Amino acid sequence: MTRSAALLAAGAIALLAAPLALSDFWIFIAIEVLAFALYAVSFNVLLGYGGMLSFGHAAFFGVGGYAAAILVKKAGLAAGLAFALLPAVAMLVAAAFALVIGFFSVRRAGIYFAMLTFAFQMLLYTVAMKATGITGGDDGMTGLKPPGVLAKPFAYYYFALALIAPALYVLHRLVSSPFGYILRALRANARRVQYIGVDVRAHQLATFVITGAFAGLAGGIFALSSGNVFPGWLNWTASATPIVMAVLGGVHTFLGPALGAAVYVVLEVLISGKTEYWPLAMGVIILILVLLMPEGLTGLARRKSA
Amino acid sequence: MSGQGLPVVKADPAYSAGLLDALLQQFAWVQNPVVVARQLLAGVSNGMLLFLISAGLSLIFGVLRIINFAHGALFMFGAFIALSVAALAPGTSGSYVAALIGATAGLAVLGALLEMGLLRRIYHAPHEFQLLLTFALVFIFGDVAKLIWGREDHSVSVPQALGGSVQALGLTFPAYRLFLIGVGIAVALGLWLVLHRTRWGIFVRAATMDRAMLSALGVNTRVLFTTVFALGAALAGLGGALAAPIVAVGPGLHVQVIIDAFVVVVIGGMGSVIGALVASLLVGIVNAFGVLAFPGLAVVLTFAVMAIVLIVRPWGLFGVPE
Repeated sequence: MTRSAALLAAGAIALLAAPLALSDFWIFIAIEVLAFALYAVSFNVLLGYGGMLSFGHAAFFGVGGYAAAILVKKAGLAAGLAFALLPAVAMLVAAAFALVIGFFSVRRAGIYFAMLTFAFQMLLYTVAMKATGITGGDDGMTGLKPPGVLAKPFAYYYFALALIAPALYVLHRLVSSPFGYILRALRANARRVQYIGVDVRAHQLATFVITGAFAGLAGGIFALSSGNVFPGWLNWTASATPIVMAVLGGVHTFLGPALGAAVYVVLEVLISGKTEYWPLAMGVIILILVLLMPEGLTGLARRKSA
Repeated sequence: MSGQGLPVVKADPAYSAGLLDALLQQFAWVQNPVVVARQLLAGVSNGMLLFLISAGLSLIFGVLRIINFAHGALFMFGAFIALSVAALAPGTSGSYVAALIGATAGLAVLGALLEMGLLRRIYHAPHEFQLLLTFALVFIFGDVAKLIWGREDHSVSVPQALGGSVQALGLTFPAYRLFLIGVGIAVALGLWLVLHRTRWGIFVRAATMDRAMLSALGVNTRVLFTTVFALGAALAGLGGALAAPIVAVGPGLHVQVIIDAFVVVVIGGMGSVIGALVASLLVGIVNAFGVLAFPGLAVVLTFAVMAIVLIVRPWGLFGVPE
């Protein structure tokens, strides 16, 4: 068995067995890790594989969260039905937003692409703040609960895992497919890829929509786990989160960002428990990361084993 | 920085209901010269404050090619420094002048230190690293401000010499707002002079067009970058100090302010000071009147315009297409 296959098997076993060994609080954190892992990996498909730095990926995570919240609280469906539809609704709504935003954003490259995604995210933020009837405005939406036995963290963990593991697998198949290889080529030299007849914009838009949809799924899952959604999920300061997680884990591997997500979430929980100055700590960590550890944790690991 | 909330002057209710009537009601204030003048003054003076932040942000992007998300935090520090200095002798002109000088000079020094110590190391790194660095500064500076000055909002009193009103054209204007406009015009003129009449200014303008060529011609771009960043920071600091008497000075100040600055820089054109001036005044005035006409939509409109500009003409009004 190869080393990475062994690592993956070990990881899978750990993921499946985790809730048996953890307290309810830490299972809750583990669910957050799963959701953010999907969030970070989807972002890295855009950044690490596609070379597209989006300042607005948090928009889709937030949209997924709000879609889930509105579905569960305001759609007037039976709790069980609403919940069963949640993954599909979160993904479809996020994909729809990604289609519109992406359509306009991929027409520009580099810094203008980034600023466009930023502008659209802030647009959604102001809508979330103002549309108090639908989104609860400033207060957000609270009291979101999965129905019946799924309200227990132990059960919800497996529900989340059952959605997120296949999602990660799908994304992995995507980047390993011809579509994925064209995407990597686009990152390296878009013009050259265009010359061999590929529709660059369509390819980038498709990637944007798919990664946005999965970010939305992550947001929806997390919203029901944490029980609330806030406009702050859409504020520009939230755009840093997927970037930090991806770079922390390492953008050159597929699961690197997942590791980054795990470390980020655990650090946040531990540090926020001790002090209210988590932003300060996070800023310092980012500085260390950027200045001293640009290849992230997986890069460090690779260097050590080389 | 929205305009002051004023009651909308209602149209004659004898009109029958309809879209035209609703529109007339929304714009009824146009007939009221006091309201128009007051909003115009607020809009232009807010625009001048916005110009001070945006000019620095735009220059920093034009020369260093870095989107400085922490620029709002620099503005915030300017306001806090002014708060602390003015508190030594509240209301007096002496403490206020000292506050302005302290904020400007202090931020210039901080800017130079940031550029030399941190930014310089990541010029050749991928964009996501530069972004992360300035984001890190946002988080750090926000908490540092909390640690030093506490969590609550503070207020700074307008210096007595500028606290009154001025009568003109049969209307009353707050003197401080007129002062802000005056300072803004002075700074704009000063910047123009520096950029167009000094060697350093020529280098700065050349750098926004072609950095590599400038360096190849033998200009010390390292020092240029440091001084540009220091100038941008100083302008932000000055803006913060000037804004201190009319905004709530608290650790959340930097989060809101940077958004308006980005909108301005996008509309005006990244790297263009004249663009920053025109766009700042535009945004300031539109915001001031937008709050009257479309209270809920004004903010949404701002980002919609930003998106439209990026889609249709991303280099803005005065920027250089790449």
